Amino acid sequence: MALRPVARRPGRAAAGFGLKVAGQALNFESYQPGIISVLRRRYGAFTGKAAGGYRFSLTAAPGSQSPFRPAVAASGDRLEIGRGDFRAVIGPGRKAELTAAPSEQTLDAFLRSFLSFLLLRAGGFMLHSAGLVKNDRAYLFLGKSGAGKSTLSKLAAAAGLEVISDEINLVRPGSNGFRAYGSPFWGEMRADGRPGSWPLGGVFLLKKARRNRVSGCKPVEALRLLLRCAVNFDRAPASAALALENGAALLAGAAFRRLEFSKADGSFLELI
Amino acid sequence: MAYKIKKGLAFRRIAGEVYIVDAARCEMRELNGTASLIWEGLAAGRPVAAIAAGLMAEFEVPERTALADVAGFVKDLAAAGLVEAVK
Repeated sequence: MALRPVARRPGRAAAGFGLKVAGQALNFESYQPGIISVLRRRYGAFTGKAAGGYRFSLTAAPGSQSPFRPAVAASGDRLEIGRGDFRAVIGPGRKAELTAAPSEQTLDAFLRSFLSFLLLRAGGFMLHSAGLVKNDRAYLFLGKSGAGKSTLSKLAAAAGLEVISDEINLVRPGSNGFRAYGSPFWGEMRADGRPGSWPLGGVFLLKKARRNRVSGCKPVEALRLLLRCAVNFDRAPASAALALENGAALLAGAAFRRLEFSKADGSFLELI
Repeated sequence: MAYKIKKGLAFRRIAGEVYIVDAARCEMRELNGTASLIWEGLAAGRPVAAIAAGLMAEFEVPERTALADVAGFVKDLAAAGLVEAVK
């Protein structure tokens, strides 16, 4: 998809939307209000403006989702992220251009790509995981598809616990250890999520089982699953080095254990 | 013969073991204690003989054994595409 110049009509005001997720502020402005409406509808719960955030000039353009996997190219102070239906160019001063198909799926794909890039550089991760809050602390449950993230999340919600996300959670270091942040990215539960952050109480390697059990795990097992569950579209060695560095910090800063849980009921929550 | 670690690999020692990530191939490998020492020796640009000398001091093994272990492991690393011979 090529970036296209848009003829701006004199006197016509641009529509805008500000989004704040995991401490990252992204402000969008467009002369095509339809695409701003899509953003507002999809991410309304995370509305927020902050000084110093990224400023995207947004243009709607048709495109297909092929190739599906976003490509990331970072060079100096310029970053390009794109796939068949979107292309973003982020330049110096956090000034950026985004051309994207005006659909929730496309804008979601862009935001996942960009936020995962930013989180890695902030010392954190975007993680395929379930996240819940218990006693004011966040607990993450790492697992790829089929590990039980949605099942666990639904059981936790039924037991009255707050679910941060049943699919993608956002963690980064704060002034007093790692914190999990509210996520707009969900799986089966299809909730909106809400802004907020909680100190990270622990991370579990998730596995469905007949009986509930918490056990220790070796660092190598934790790191292997952590890196497998990390969302990272950047194939550059520097990005891999960051993932290792952040992984080491997270292993040192949070308790990693293994949780085997039965989907029969929410009694496993007593072990958390 | 001297060897060097191929470009494009990220590695780090975590909890006593070295982890290597090949981002382009989406692969991760972990090395045990001895292998980690050899890897870090290669990363520091040391020749095989110097790495073997380090193993002799660390594990109190004969020179012949240390040299054979290092040479064998470096051969494995080369076969795995992680190191290359320096011309």
